[in-house]
Amino acid sequence: MIGNLPLAIIPPEAEALRAEVREFLREALPDLPPDRRARSWMGFDADFSRRLAARGWVGLTLRKEYGGAALGPFARYVIVEELLAAGAPVSAHWIGDRQSGPLIQRFGNEAQRQFHLPRISRGESFFCIGMSEPNTGSDLASVTTRAVRDGDGWRLNGRKIWTTNAHHSHYMIALVRSSGVPADRHKGLSQFIVDLSLPGVKVTPIRDLAGDAHFNEVVFEEVRLPADALVGEEGAGWAQVTAELAYERSGPERVLSSAVLLDTWIDWLRTEGPRTPASEALLGRLLAHLATLRAMSIAVTSRLVAGESPITEAALVKDLGTEFEQLIPTAIADALGAEPDRVPPDGLLRTLAYSQAMAPSYSLRGGTREILRGMIARGMGLR
Amino acid sequence: MDDLLANSAGELFTRACPPEVARAIRHGGSAAALWDAIEESGFLDALVPEAAGGAGLRPIDTLPVLLAAGRFAAPVPVGETMLVRAAFAAARQAAPEGPVALAQPVAADAAWRARAAWARQSRRVLVPRGEAALLLPRPALPGTDYVNDTAATMTWEQPEPEAALEGGTDWLVAGAWAELCRMAGAMDRILEDTIRYAGERVQFGRPIAGFQAVQQQLSVLTEEVFAGRMAAQLASLPSAGEASLDPLRVAAGKARIGEAAIRVAAIAHGVLGAMGITEEVPLHLMTEQLHRGRLAFGSEAYWHGVLGRACLDGPAVTSLGFVQERLAPAEA
Repeated sequence: MIGNLPLAIIPPEAEALRAEVREFLREALPDLPPDRRARSWMGFDADFSRRLAARGWVGLTLRKEYGGAALGPFARYVIVEELLAAGAPVSAHWIGDRQSGPLIQRFGNEAQRQFHLPRISRGESFFCIGMSEPNTGSDLASVTTRAVRDGDGWRLNGRKIWTTNAHHSHYMIALVRSSGVPADRHKGLSQFIVDLSLPGVKVTPIRDLAGDAHFNEVVFEEVRLPADALVGEEGAGWAQVTAELAYERSGPERVLSSAVLLDTWIDWLRTEGPRTPASEALLGRLLAHLATLRAMSIAVTSRLVAGESPITEAALVKDLGTEFEQLIPTAIADALGAEPDRVPPDGLLRTLAYSQAMAPSYSLRGGTREILRGMIARGMGLR
Repeated sequence: MDDLLANSAGELFTRACPPEVARAIRHGGSAAALWDAIEESGFLDALVPEAAGGAGLRPIDTLPVLLAAGRFAAPVPVGETMLVRAAFAAARQAAPEGPVALAQPVAADAAWRARAAWARQSRRVLVPRGEAALLLPRPALPGTDYVNDTAATMTWEQPEPEAALEGGTDWLVAGAWAELCRMAGAMDRILEDTIRYAGERVQFGRPIAGFQAVQQQLSVLTEEVFAGRMAAQLASLPSAGEASLDPLRVAAGKARIGEAAIRVAAIAHGVLGAMGITEEVPLHLMTEQLHRGRLAFGSEAYWHGVLGRACLDGPAVTSLGFVQERLAPAEA
């Protein structure tokens, strides 16, 4: 059974970055209406990512020799927290900074690091992650996209879907089968860095319910990959994928997806919105949740810094965090409707509509609620 | 330090407050032996400054003791007496002896009628009223039953205070803190007991812990208990640059634990089935602390309002800015 999560703090040297990031955002954040900022880490703006990179804040945890900022998890925590709270459009560099860069740094060979990491850190090279397939969702080990040895390289065939930003990205890190059959489950999976400009790669955007195109279907037809497309060890794809999950599941992005909506509503209450006891209490409730979740998320980060792998605790933070993110639009809608003779500002209503419509995705991406609760049950010794 | 205190508090209550003792005391039995054991441990003077003969600890340091009191459903005012002794020491007055129940503050113009937990087991009650808090003898109480066992509403026709404290302590905040710590301790115990029971209870030929539907419930229970424990830790941190409890942190903690309590009690009772409704199984000793604790010293509705107003009336920062400046974990 998992034990207590002791209080942990963000170390002062990481906390010191906060003022710098806020200052940068005051200058550099494009003037976007709140419902655009509510896209949070789904908002794409290559230009903004390059400005952030020029400031040294892309490739945050990559080593200096590869052009990274060589910052620790807590520095990244502060920077990401401020970017998300402001609704900065971080999606272009998000995957490279958060997952692909660290993965290549950890499992890639020297040539791969030398080639990819400086480009990621300069905000020139954007990455996407190819996990889901038409018949592979939560059951990730069932992937059927296959890489077969072909001379000294590989030949790739198959289909990925729900790949965020594939249409804007230069590379995909794809989890595919490189040996055996789907019944082998976790064995025989490998990760490849797929250059999306190669012949045989076809990317088709899928429009979402808000009219945005961030999802894609990516089809591979006889795609010839060079030998060095393989990242890490052949057959070790599953272990590599799961190694980073605790980071992905416990960060500020699992708590702040509806922060722009919450703050837009607070702004209205502070100016001309109806300050009823019920709206004050709702705000207090949300703040009590946010304070507790953030302390839990910081506590998990400190365990990661200590070299532990708090997979269960991270799953717990993600499940509670996404529930909180989903509570915000539901509760604010009720609060606005509680005063039917007051017409809220258009920006607030548009932000609410966006967050409310997209909220179901918060507990789908990165592991569904049911999968996470299964992991927690395992961590508690129940399975 | 934390572990040391947690271990010695755990040993103390394991020895002096097993479920049969907790039940007997609640049903009108004497709490003297339990109280003597707690007194002997020195915990009751933990918050009293060293210069005044105490241990000079801060609330965050003493959290393990209150968690343990909750885990064992100790039917005596442990946290309350600790807070009262500290307040008397701060006022340079001799502290009252024995267990002191802490009444929920009443308005300055209200009748002398107040409610306090563990009144039956206490000789005295501290009644905060307006700006002052009066130490009153505990009046005679009605007979025991499952409500009167753990809390009592008391009336004083002609209050004759043994002592008075003027200002100094926000007793609503202090009382809320004592309750929420006890609640977090009770939740811990509920989690352990419920998971163990789910592994033992066999239906359809296997332990019910093997069913996904039950596992998902137990995962939610785990989440809420972890959130509650974190909320208790946050609530025990002092205000910046001070030693005293931080009203906003207590507000957030009491409110979050109150929400957790509802889910925790419901899931645990669901898993234990009819067994959990019996007097014999100690689950009710734990859930009683959750339900009564929620109601005492301000429920979610009260503290949510306090927090919401503090945010709206304060500087125009974002929700994250407010939490980061006012409710963040800090060096303990």
